[in-house]
Amino acid sequence: MSLTVEHVNKSFAQFHVIKDLSMKVQEGTIFGFLGANGAGKTTTMRMILDILRPDSGSITWNGRDVREEPRRNWGYLPEERGLYPKMRVDEHMLFLARLNGLSKSAAEKALTDWLERFQISANRKKRIEELSKGNQQKVQFLATILHDPTVLVMDEPFSGLDPVNANVLKEAFLELHRRGKTIIFSTHQLEQAEELCQDIVIINKGQSVIQGSVREVKRQHGRNVARLKLDNDPEAHWLEQLAGVRVTKRREDYIEMQIQADFNPNVIVEAALQHGGIISRFELTEPSLTDIFIEKVGATSLPDAPSAELPA
Amino acid sequence: MSKKTVTQPEAARDLSEQGQTPAAVSAGGAAAQQNGRNILLIIGREYKNHITQRSFLISTILILILVAIGACVPTIVQFFSVRTSSPTRIAVINNAGAIAGLSQAALDSYIRSALNGTDTTSHAPYAITSQTQASPESLQTQVKNGRLDILLALTRSPQGNLQFTYYTHADPSNDGNLSTIQTLAQQLNFLDSARRLGLTPSQTSSLVAPPAFSVVGTQQNQNARSGSQIVAGYVLGYLGNILIYMAVTLYGMSVAMGVAEEKGSRVMEILVNAATPFQLLAGKIIGIGAAGLTQMACIVLVGIGAILLQTPLQVALLGASNTGFLAIFTGLSIQFLLLLLLYFILGFLLYSTLFAALGALVKRQDEVRSAVQIPIILLVGGYVVSIIGITAPDATWMKVLSYFPFWTPMIVLTRIGVGTVAWWEVALTTGLMIVAVVVCTFISARIYRLGVLMYGQRPGLGQLLKLTRAN
Repeated sequence: MSLTVEHVNKSFAQFHVIKDLSMKVQEGTIFGFLGANGAGKTTTMRMILDILRPDSGSITWNGRDVREEPRRNWGYLPEERGLYPKMRVDEHMLFLARLNGLSKSAAEKALTDWLERFQISANRKKRIEELSKGNQQKVQFLATILHDPTVLVMDEPFSGLDPVNANVLKEAFLELHRRGKTIIFSTHQLEQAEELCQDIVIINKGQSVIQGSVREVKRQHGRNVARLKLDNDPEAHWLEQLAGVRVTKRREDYIEMQIQADFNPNVIVEAALQHGGIISRFELTEPSLTDIFIEKVGATSLPDAPSAELPA
Repeated sequence: MSKKTVTQPEAARDLSEQGQTPAAVSAGGAAAQQNGRNILLIIGREYKNHITQRSFLISTILILILVAIGACVPTIVQFFSVRTSSPTRIAVINNAGAIAGLSQAALDSYIRSALNGTDTTSHAPYAITSQTQASPESLQTQVKNGRLDILLALTRSPQGNLQFTYYTHADPSNDGNLSTIQTLAQQLNFLDSARRLGLTPSQTSSLVAPPAFSVVGTQQNQNARSGSQIVAGYVLGYLGNILIYMAVTLYGMSVAMGVAEEKGSRVMEILVNAATPFQLLAGKIIGIGAAGLTQMACIVLVGIGAILLQTPLQVALLGASNTGFLAIFTGLSIQFLLLLLLYFILGFLLYSTLFAALGALVKRQDEVRSAVQIPIILLVGGYVVSIIGITAPDATWMKVLSYFPFWTPMIVLTRIGVGTVAWWEVALTTGLMIVAVVVCTFISARIYRLGVLMYGQRPGLGQLLKLTRAN
């Protein structure tokens, strides 16, 4: 029971946007889709939704090609939000829900329920353009889920939300998760992925870089981070000579370094004492997804790489 | 959390209700059902959205007012011209004695009927006074200071020939009355000369009687048409052309703008997940077309109503009825009108598929106008051809060009209006147009599918062709 993407390739004109991408989303999980701008996240999502067709490879839901799946099983929140600005909220939502196969009465029931949950019932008869930005986002989210789809594909759902609305959305995510929906969402806010997702994939330039459960990815990464501060020797250049240690950041209040998984951190403390340092801070932490992301993607992803210009 | 426990079973039930329908019918049947349902939903949205737009309502009301006023203009002009123009005052002094043997009273009535026809009311164009043996000087003064418009003095030369002197206040080079009076003078002179030559009145009348002159049309159908039908044909030809031109530019542009708007506001991204490009294309075109037909129907109904009102209005204002307008309507047959409707709809469908595809290719709404220039030029071409061809409806080049689907509606309507079209030509051109509509819809749906999500550069023609073949 899963959404399986296997060896998918997609090109736009001369640009090879997705290169042999494979991934697996277990049913009922929240799946984080991470990557820099132009990495191919939106293109992959559109292929999952059968808006674009892959050049080669297959995308299946529970063993069936996604092209054969009824449309109403899918909910899509596009990255660029948009609704008919002149339409009233209820008219618009009912139109979309019925277009997705819901009967009129079922659509109205679902709408009333969700408007209440999002506390925007008062806006039911307003035109979309009259709503505040935050309420427009909520309505846009409603448009995605009103027809009760099995799989939700959301492109950057948290972008442009203030903390309060981001929290409302997070709650809705967890609610849908409890209802057994499969949620795939792309983001570059890695804290959110870490907080919500069971599994993630990081893609770069159309290729999968790392995938698996969040815990597994962190372990696979095989490194811990150590932070050290010496009161009398803020530079501590001797650290560079230690085997198995790599200094990554030098901040005002500490030096951050990555250490191999099998490296005994005591060595750093001993070396510091040998150099006559006065230790005021020494800590070991797991790497955050941000660190992994920057390490895997940051080096190769240039902001103005041609693939970022593509209609994807 | 209590809310959640309520909604979950509901959601589950909704799902099972929905699940039954596709299970009961075959997969193809369910797809077709959903297809029709979606198109109807989109048509409904487009129609409602279009006719409730403030700009649409305002423009419809303005057009209706203009049409109503326009229909009344001829009556109003007639009304004011009758009210404001007083008859031309003319005085005739006869110093020539008996003319053509007529008594003074007979001469007066001859002049009156020659100038005013049968109109004996006070609205008649000329008010005539006649005098004999009077001195012209006092009357000349009256002409000079404008109390008289024309003074006509009749005298005889020493040889006995009639002589006319025309005094006028108006500029002789721009005097509309001069030719009328000259004609009268010639007639009087002719009658008088005939009398002096000793001809009897019957000889005279045989001299001026018009010769037998009959007109035979050799075209078969030409004979079957009454004058009012020919007038109606011209009106239909022009009207059909103008209607189609208006409908395609107005509503075709709405289609292109609507597609570009959906693309620009990104609502398209959700729509393409819920409905197929074909459903979106068909729904939009039919929805806007229906809104357009509604507007056209309002205009035509108000126009006909206003024109029908003219007869009672004219009777009320002028005391006389003028059936000029009604003649056009009695000349229109139901067949004409049905064909007008048929070509109107086919023409709109054909062009609007192109407009939709082009609307899908632009990035922003303001680029639509330049993007739709090619179909507009095509349309103007058809319009110009049929306006030129209205004088030669049965020419071979008109016949040939009427098979070009993009020009068929305008040219065939012109030909039906003023010429002859065989039934099989109507059937064949209609068939060709339907084929063209299907082909264009097919191509447009593909361009649309690819264009609506393309926000990069506008693709070139070659790239477009490649896109329509691929996928």
